[in-house]
Amino acid sequence: MKKLLTSFLLIAALVVVAAPLFAHHGRGATYDMKKEVMLKGTITEVAWRNPHVAIYMDVKGPDGKVTNWAFENSNVSTLARQGYNRNTLKIGEEITAVVNPSAQGAPRGIVVKVILPDGKEIMSRGSGANPVD
Amino acid sequence: MRNRSLFLIPLLFVLLSLAAYAQAPAAQGKFDPHDFSGIWLRRGGDRGISPKAPPMTPAGEARMKLNIPARSRSPLAKAPDDPSTSNDPAFSCNPKGFPRILIDTAHDYHEVVYTKDGRMLQLWQEERRPREIWLDGRKVPSGENLDNLGPAWYGHSVGHWEGDTLIVETVGLDDRAWVDLFGFPKSTEARVVERYKRVDADTMTVQLTLYDSKYYTAPWESDVKTWKKQPRDKVTFFGWYGLFSGAGELICAPMNANGVNKHGG
Amino acid sequence: MRSRLILALAVVGILLMAVAAQAQGGRGNRANAPAAPPDNRPFDAKDLSGYWISTVGGHALGTKAPPLTPAGIAAMKGRVPDTQNKLPGNAPWYQCNPMGFPRLVLDNEPIELVMLNDRVLQLFQWEWTLRELWLDGRQLPSGDNLENLGPSWYGESVARWEGNTLVVQTTGLDERAWLDNNGDPKSFYAVFEERYQRTSFDTIELQISVTDPKFYTAPWVGAKRVYRRLPLSEVTFSGYKSLYSGNTDAICAPINEAEDYNKRIRDPAAFGAK
Repeated sequence: MKKLLTSFLLIAALVVVAAPLFAHHGRGATYDMKKEVMLKGTITEVAWRNPHVAIYMDVKGPDGKVTNWAFENSNVSTLARQGYNRNTLKIGEEITAVVNPSAQGAPRGIVVKVILPDGKEIMSRGSGANPVD
Repeated sequence: MRNRSLFLIPLLFVLLSLAAYAQAPAAQGKFDPHDFSGIWLRRGGDRGISPKAPPMTPAGEARMKLNIPARSRSPLAKAPDDPSTSNDPAFSCNPKGFPRILIDTAHDYHEVVYTKDGRMLQLWQEERRPREIWLDGRKVPSGENLDNLGPAWYGHSVGHWEGDTLIVETVGLDDRAWVDLFGFPKSTEARVVERYKRVDADTMTVQLTLYDSKYYTAPWESDVKTWKKQPRDKVTFFGWYGLFSGAGELICAPMNANGVNKHGG
Repeated sequence: MRSRLILALAVVGILLMAVAAQAQGGRGNRANAPAAPPDNRPFDAKDLSGYWISTVGGHALGTKAPPLTPAGIAAMKGRVPDTQNKLPGNAPWYQCNPMGFPRLVLDNEPIELVMLNDRVLQLFQWEWTLRELWLDGRQLPSGDNLENLGPSWYGESVARWEGNTLVVQTTGLDERAWLDNNGDPKSFYAVFEERYQRTSFDTIELQISVTDPKFYTAPWVGAKRVYRRLPLSEVTFSGYKSLYSGNTDAICAPINEAEDYNKRIRDPAAFGAK
């Protein structure tokens, strides 16, 4: 019975995590939507342009090596309507980005959410506000 | 007495005819100098802002040296022997941007229409591009607002009247679009002021000034560009009146440009 | 033990309901909000002016396509749509070729409708472009005129009022543009019909159909789609009200798309870093 309960809850959790996948088109196979990676680092570039706004950041690995990651968001029109602009994130800013990483292991991802130093969460894809389709 | 008056009538007729002939080059008919509605064809003025640019700043020169135009006007940006090696962004279907879409032509069309909420729209046949000029009393964006908006290929344009001259100010322009086909650059700090005047029923003139102290040591004033209003039959193609149809398809599509439009222009 | 199971099932049920509501969203928490009371504000049914956006994504007509003719099958060959199971497709707009009609109207991005005396002007934020729906009584081009005009990405459109419905017909479209995200074809001779009806102060209903005997064995009647009015807050950025600004510049520029995004983001993510 305990096993059954655990299984049900696990299935429910998986469904919730995977839900945004069903709402979007065309990018699912490029990124591993079942995996989440937490990137802590410094923004190096904000590419506020279509087709998808991209944020680049330097991330220091456990071995001390710095890798430049990039994660994509929705397009400029959609982000603008959600209240964001090219100065929402600035070069040099320290952020934590939670992303679904590239299925091929490249330092690329699709945003799940961005956490600012004060703990505020922005550009979250989970609430449907930053759809990448 | 009678003989003299008989002579005067034909003389009067001749004088009146001469007067009418002298007026003939200008269009007849009344017009509202505050109304630019209609389809206009470019008919005069340099294809750059003007034939000679003001001296450039070191930053402007450095920027210009990166450009390889198909036609050159400055040793800073020379045209190669093979124009297909030009890196003019417009040749690969990046937008011409403003002010290039207005100045870079000897003969192209746009239509002016007005909206009820105070906009003058220029509908450019080239690129199928609407350009909004706000006449609703707003100011051009500036400061933090402009910085947050960021650059747009066609910028943000606001106009107001001074007598019979429409003054249009444009800011927030994308610096990746060249000023003209000769490879002159503009920075994101560029501000363009246009002065529109309806000279007669068929003629509109535009004079513009580029203010860009990052790249130019002085404002760059243009010559007068002339536009002629087109009668309906001149812009009706195979029964279809208007600028946008199969006959007027001027969207730059990369699948057309690649291999087909290598020589640009 | 049983009560624990019931509790677990209840939790799962609630979670699944939240997921279903979220999947229908795309507008965040609004999908979970209670239904709004009916909008009884008076409106002029023949005034479609304003900023509008489709409430539906998917970028398709919304119904199943009729069977293709052999020519239609041939036209569709080589088209690779994006799907969940394949790598990014080869839709021509990925290289900044125009989306064309009807694909651009089917996009859920801001559109403005401007009522002029002789036409309805349709302004698109995506691609920063326009369509003219002529109300001046002209006929759709046909025969030699149509052949001589030749194809264009957005064709030629004529409009008329049928009661309170604006009926628009479009033909002369460039066959290279996909009809939808699936890559369905449309021929130069296709005649599309859009039916716009303002159904409330803040909504327009649009239905698009196409008759294209060259590519389809039957007319294709699309689903009715609701377009909602965009509030001022969604067309005003940093104090600047407009469909068009630096914040929303959605011109597809190859320097952004092919040279920047595809090279630096899409291809490494899809094919691995080089």
